[in-house]
Amino acid sequence: MKQATPVDDAALIDRLRDPSTCRAAFADLIKTYSEPLYRQIRRMVQNHDDADDVLQNTFLKAWQNIHLFRGDAKLTTWLYKIALNESITFLDREKRRSTQSIDDEENSVINTIEADEWVDGDELALHLRKAIALLPEKQRLVFTMHYYDEMKYEQISEILGTSVGALKASYHHAVKKIEEYFSALD
Amino acid sequence: MENEILKKINRSDGFTVPEGYFEDFAKRMTASLPEQPWENEEEVRMVPRSWWQKVRPYVYLAAMFLGIWCMMQTFDLMRPHAGEYSPENNPVIAAAMNNDVFMEEYFDAASSIDDYDFYDELYSDGYTPAVHTGAQDKGASVSI
Repeated sequence: MKQATPVDDAALIDRLRDPSTCRAAFADLIKTYSEPLYRQIRRMVQNHDDADDVLQNTFLKAWQNIHLFRGDAKLTTWLYKIALNESITFLDREKRRSTQSIDDEENSVINTIEADEWVDGDELALHLRKAIALLPEKQRLVFTMHYYDEMKYEQISEILGTSVGALKASYHHAVKKIEEYFSALD
Repeated sequence: MENEILKKINRSDGFTVPEGYFEDFAKRMTASLPEQPWENEEEVRMVPRSWWQKVRPYVYLAAMFLGIWCMMQTFDLMRPHAGEYSPENNPVIAAAMNNDVFMEEYFDAASSIDDYDFYDELYSDGYTPAVHTGAQDKGASVSI
């Protein structure tokens, strides 16, 4: 994920703090962060249309609370937190609507992945997506942020509020489960 | 495993989006941002906290504990110290009680003098009970 440089972030935060430039600065923020946030949300919800909805909700929530952002944390960390919360809220809402059993839920996720038209990549990538989708939520988050976004554990720790040691353990367990998934395919 | 399967995938999530999606999204999102009340404020909303504002709570906490400690010291000074004049705690009194000459004179004086002689002794030293204000020194007296 291409992240804004610290200098860019500081300049953007200064503009966000000024009411006269806040809206224009927020537009720049959307342009900078929409793609990385979209990818993280998409890995959670799988479907493009759902990811689009959640991304809109994320930026709307960020806009409503931008005046409370003190600059103590990085903009990336703050936005990621909002995006993850919105994604989890969306998934919980979908679960409550559905009356499926756990097995049916898993099959439903697999079907969603296979039916997704906005995807390319080979069969290996498809199987990896399925394996990741079957991981417990925390392990899925840690794996996707560390593997795809190449985030350091310290940054993931700030976003999820979990210790670095616990994150490393989660990542290790996630890798093990993905290994088992691929072993079962053979 | 990271050397095999994940290396082959090369961190590509395989997601695609409709053409021009992100540019279109940015325009849509910016146009749909609702107006916020703080947009019309003239002043800068957020002022970075100064060094004193960050340190102030800890300084107040330290001052509070210092005040409590001072109060406790004050109460301790006001408390009567019952054992201060006991021989075990006061070396001057202990030395006097170990001095046979002093004890002989002390008990002789205490046992042989009666009240009349005692007050006579006081009057000769200038003691005037009518105006005595509780001075500790035997020779001290206040006369009108």
